Amino acid sequence: MQLYNIIINNLRRRKSKMLFMLLGIVIGIATIVSVFNVIESMKTQMTKQVSEYGINVVITPDSGGLTFSYGGIILPEILYDVEQLTNEDVDIISQLGSKDMIRIIAPKLISVEMLEGGQKVTVIGGNLKQEFQIKPWLTIENENSEASLTEKNIEGFVPADLIRQDISVIELSEDQIIIGSALANSLKVNKGDTIKISDNQFEIKFILSESGETEDHQVLMNLKTAQTLFNKPEEITVMDLSVDYEAGSEEVLLAEIKENLPHVQVSSLRQETLKRDEMLTRLVRFGVAVSILIVFIGMLVVGITMSGSVRERTREIGIFRALGFRKSHIIKIILSESLIISFVGGVLGYISGNLIASYSGPIFIGETIQPEWRVLVLFISVGLSVAIGLISSIIPALKAAKLDPAEALRFI
Amino acid sequence: MSEIMISLKDINKTYKSMGDEVQALKSVSLDIYKGESVSVMGHSGSGKSTLLSILGALNPPSSGLVEIDGIDIYKLSQERLADFRREYLGFVFQQFQLIPYLTAHENVMLPLTTTKRSNREKREMAAQVLERVGLKNKMNRLPNQLSGGEQERVAIARAIVNAPPLILADEPTGSLDTKTGDEIMELFQQLNKEGLTVLMVTHNPDNTKYLGRTIVMKDGRLSDERLNLN
Ligand SMILES: Nc1ncnc2c1ncn2[C@@H]1O[C@H](COP(=O)(O)OP(=O)(O)OP(=O)(O)O)[C@@H](O)[C@H]1O
Ligand SMILES: [Mg+2]
Repeated sequence: MQLYNIIINNLRRRKSKMLFMLLGIVIGIATIVSVFNVIESMKTQMTKQVSEYGINVVITPDSGGLTFSYGGIILPEILYDVEQLTNEDVDIISQLGSKDMIRIIAPKLISVEMLEGGQKVTVIGGNLKQEFQIKPWLTIENENSEASLTEKNIEGFVPADLIRQDISVIELSEDQIIIGSALANSLKVNKGDTIKISDNQFEIKFILSESGETEDHQVLMNLKTAQTLFNKPEEITVMDLSVDYEAGSEEVLLAEIKENLPHVQVSSLRQETLKRDEMLTRLVRFGVAVSILIVFIGMLVVGITMSGSVRERTREIGIFRALGFRKSHIIKIILSESLIISFVGGVLGYISGNLIASYSGPIFIGETIQPEWRVLVLFISVGLSVAIGLISSIIPALKAAKLDPAEALRFI
Repeated sequence: MSEIMISLKDINKTYKSMGDEVQALKSVSLDIYKGESVSVMGHSGSGKSTLLSILGALNPPSSGLVEIDGIDIYKLSQERLADFRREYLGFVFQQFQLIPYLTAHENVMLPLTTTKRSNREKREMAAQVLERVGLKNKMNRLPNQLSGGEQERVAIARAIVNAPPLILADEPTGSLDTKTGDEIMELFQQLNKEGLTVLMVTHNPDNTKYLGRTIVMKDGRLSDERLNLN
């Protein structure tokens, strides 16, 4: 005979009341778990979208002035007269602790130059392989574009692998460039023609197919060529990174970059996307509000149930006290009961919350959510539930301990 | 009959409830010796249960000194007082006061629950006293599966399982028929013969013949009417 015998036996006797309390906790925890599961899945979905976009992290000099737009996301402005990025910074990035997360580093020098006719054009000097890899929408206009167009119509789209294979062909010598299709049209130039940029002649080696992105209006050349041409031998304007989110923590990577390159500004497209997504922000707010409400209601349910239980057991507690139970024993009995129920409630709530999320996935995000049995979430669910159970039972437990045994046994 | 078990000196107890004051005990002094058996009689409201609860370390007096086995019990801390009840006192309440969801065996083990004995020892001790009160074969029943007399026996077994020197009983036979009541009284008599000090509140004058001394209470005082009753 130990205290737990009393606890277990009492729980068994008060099945219906205890089940009611258990149900309350399960529903509460399940709701919280499922809401945050849906939010988590939305985040994952967005991360996937951002990953598919190619560029995930952009490193620029630390200040405003020039704006960059990536697939509709506009990054803060950059000024030119601040400490610039250099080739050395590229090496530092490629040697970070989290370097395995970085799939592609695409450094480039960007400059606005005047063409012969007085037209201004943005010139990008970059490592072309990385540039084409990180911007999957960049493709070279095919020799026999008619044929490839019909092929496209049949196939629907060009698989990413095919584009990648093209990349090996893309090589430029010092006096060769690639230009965007819109620019080619406005200049009325073709493949093989030459144009003059900053008093230097360049042969147009390739023309990009129309992508609808800014590259349609730009000139691409080798990084080295650009650095020599503009007389900025070491300078980099911006570094685009492609990051594998599955290989590690984005937060760690960003922190490492900041630590090793304190003078730069690091922008994460993923975080910008998550931050800017209205739906997600609202859902998170909703989730937090619902959780607070549930915690509050949960505490009320537990508090009322346990208070009722203590009131019903007044006589019993009087007997325990008369038989030599200390106040602390009484507190232990009441809190343990609540602990057991809220623990079980936390576990069941976690399980049902995951299941609810996976079944309600189609309603919220339009696809099934695979139930994710994450241990951390289990710990949080159980922790929250136990906290609710214990905190709201403190007052009933103290009330029980304070019961005057003489009084409790008087009217019997 | 030399050593004093209970010593009450000038006990007063005043209950205050909503401005009303009831003086339940008025200047009560009393000595009870080790091995004595005492019945407490008196009209309803005369203060018998109050006296018992003060002796039972459950209800501090408004003034006066309560010593049990030489210990000034109301000087003890709350937790030590609980330990004192467990080690020194066996309560037998009116209406038995068994815990309905525990078996007879478990009910008897209650005073042992918070002690450091092994589970096996606890079970054996409880089984032994249940055998002593003649209920060995019914010890796994719940209280509502036992008759009134049997429940009373369980309550007595629970009071003595810890081998306390003092038994306090408040109308233990109040709800039993005469025959069963007599059996219970014989059990108390037996326990007293084995050395326990017994103090029992009773309304039934027939019970007094099983016990040694009778004290009578009247309006919160010890009365001299005892001679009349005897
Ligand atoms: N907790 C209390 N608060 C207020 N008054 C009380 C309290 N306990 C007892 N009393 C009063 O004190 C007086 C003595 O009560 P007590 O219960 O000791 O009497 P009793 O002799 O045991 O009576 P009975 O034979 O009916 O059990 C009564 O007037 C009672 O109303
Ligand atoms: Mg009484």
